[in-house]
Amino acid sequence: MPEAAHRELTFAQAVREALAEEMRRDSRVCIFGEDVAEAGTPFKVLSGLVEEFGTERVVDTPISEAGFTGLAVGAAMTGLRPVVDIMFGDFITLTMDQMANQAAKVHYMSGGKWKVPMVMRTTLGATRRSAAQHSQSLHAWFSHVPGLKVVLPSTPYDAKGLLKTAIRDENPVVFFEDKMMHHKLKGPVPSEEYTIPFGVADVKRAGSDITLVATSSMVQVALGAAALLEAAGISAEVIDPRTTWPLDEASLIESARKTSRVIVMDEGYGRYGVTAEIAAVIAEGAFYDLDAPVKRMGAMHVPIPFSPPLEDATVPTEQSVFEAAQALCGRS
Amino acid sequence: MAISVVMPALEIAQETGTLIAWRKKEGEQVAKGETLLEIETDKAVMEIEAPGDGVLVGVKVHEGAVVPVGQTIAWIVAPGEALPAEAVPSSTTTTLSATVPARAAVGVAHTPHQQDASVAKISPKARRLARERGVDISKVRGSGPGGEIVAADVLTDAVQHTSSQRSAEPLTSVGRLMAERTTQSWTTVPHFFLVQEIDASAIVAAREHLAPAIEKTNGVKLNYTDLLIALVARVLAKHLRLNSSWSDGNIRLNPEINIGVAMAVDGGVVAAVIHQADRTKLGEIAVQRRDLTERARAGRLRPSDIAGATFTITNLGMYNVDAFSAIITPPQAAILAVGRIADRVVPVNRQPGIRPMMTLTLSCDHRVTDGATAATFLSDVGEAFGEPEKQLS
Repeated sequence: MPEAAHRELTFAQAVREALAEEMRRDSRVCIFGEDVAEAGTPFKVLSGLVEEFGTERVVDTPISEAGFTGLAVGAAMTGLRPVVDIMFGDFITLTMDQMANQAAKVHYMSGGKWKVPMVMRTTLGATRRSAAQHSQSLHAWFSHVPGLKVVLPSTPYDAKGLLKTAIRDENPVVFFEDKMMHHKLKGPVPSEEYTIPFGVADVKRAGSDITLVATSSMVQVALGAAALLEAAGISAEVIDPRTTWPLDEASLIESARKTSRVIVMDEGYGRYGVTAEIAAVIAEGAFYDLDAPVKRMGAMHVPIPFSPPLEDATVPTEQSVFEAAQALCGRS
Repeated sequence: MAISVVMPALEIAQETGTLIAWRKKEGEQVAKGETLLEIETDKAVMEIEAPGDGVLVGVKVHEGAVVPVGQTIAWIVAPGEALPAEAVPSSTTTTLSATVPARAAVGVAHTPHQQDASVAKISPKARRLARERGVDISKVRGSGPGGEIVAADVLTDAVQHTSSQRSAEPLTSVGRLMAERTTQSWTTVPHFFLVQEIDASAIVAAREHLAPAIEKTNGVKLNYTDLLIALVARVLAKHLRLNSSWSDGNIRLNPEINIGVAMAVDGGVVAAVIHQADRTKLGEIAVQRRDLTERARAGRLRPSDIAGATFTITNLGMYNVDAFSAIITPPQAAILAVGRIADRVVPVNRQPGIRPMMTLTLSCDHRVTDGATAATFLSDVGEAFGEPEKQLS
């Protein structure tokens, strides 16, 4: 087996490689954002790109998310394929009109004459001690709007393959990266060209007693909990939808029907959130195969605290998922 | 005006009935004559019809409960009408919630505090599996976090069920009753049997002779059973001891002669009753017998159809049985088992001749009658069979 097959990259390296490859492949691909050029973003995800592609294609913008997102919408409509960088996902709030009312609607309202092939890359996830305005996971907001695709990669492999698909998509795509994964999570990424289609869930671990549906940051938590559960004699399946829209409903339902018990985990708020939607999909599709209520686990319904012990308490952990799964299986 | 639904008495000595199933739900609209519930008595499972039009409310008795005869088990009220005061337990404060919605929405439950106790919590998967595998969830113990029945409980139960009854067929209600009642009779009633072979020429001739007129008048094809019912009933009128009942150490003479006719139904046998058969014309007996047979086959016998028999006739002639001994249905005193009519070589005027012959076997309760008394009756039956048209004229 060639050495490349065993190559491991960090999450940030995988994202950077996807961008570099797509920028080499298509000269229309460009990057707009705060501190994306020389600084390579505060998360150092884009380091080295400005050196290769220049400041014409890696453009530092003023601190005005609404402004440069609108710029990207217009650039996409007129022929470029911009990738917008919104440093902290909390500030998608400033881009909402550009995304929800413009990017999501232009293709439809122009009768197909205009299209908006842009990507918004941004972040989610707590526990970085960044306080209430820099720790939220607001991907549900975009998942709610018809016309937007929403991607939540959970591994370096998925990040690269999904980002390349996002850049090549003719529609606006929002790409959420867990900021805690950028440099902490390493995984195999082949050097060969590949893309991953949207709307295809991935079974990260097969099991038979309970399904843990997990997105983004929660996938690693689910895998850790699954290991604990295995030691307790419970076989947990971990399935990652990878995109909240399009959503691979069939695979989620199939897994639920196989195991009869489901916990849905997502770092966003549960109230009216991604977990609520997925739980409803499963309840509708697998009702007569469910042996227990579908349980949801996500961020506590509070502003994320700055105090580290309090912040940690707002997010599901391997232990809390392990306990919830045991209870659902009647083993607690 | 609220109508009470009571546990009916289907037979003289019945004290309780078992509620097998409600066919209508609490809050559901019912029409007079529609099947409302099923009950089980000592003799059979019966469908009970709604006594009036309205909305079924105040269901007090759950499926499987044994209820004294005459007890109110539910009410039928007009839409919007409140449950009668007597139906509302005085110790609760549910009077207001016990009124019926004016539109009588189908399936609206109105006695949650009563239903909770009987409805076990069960997962959707477990409920589906129970239905698919025929598991009675009321007998399954739940192992869920809150005692809920989960799929594993149903599967375990189904496995036990299958392994313990691998080659067994589940009993129908009728079948279970048959098992209980015949065991009780056979182990408590001292049976004795009298056998008599008779020449059936006259019966055969009478049937051929009478059938066309009855078919024309009553629109029914006369059969041998009809003739036997009519003849035996008329003979019984002169042998009241054979028409009496054993009742707690006493012999009770029955004022009416009601002939039960054993009929094969799915999973067992029931005895449908021709009331006052001694006073009923042959054509009318044939009509009643045909209607009862049709209802029995359809599983739609009414309470009055099986109530009140004082003597039973069972005929297996159509199955080519020559003769057999039957088990008495308590508290009746006797049962007459009739074999087929078949040509036999018998002495006729001291010469071998061929005659249609038939064997009658009378089973008697020795507490009620004795051999000589019963023999006189059987002899008279044989005689009546020798001159049927005279007996019936």
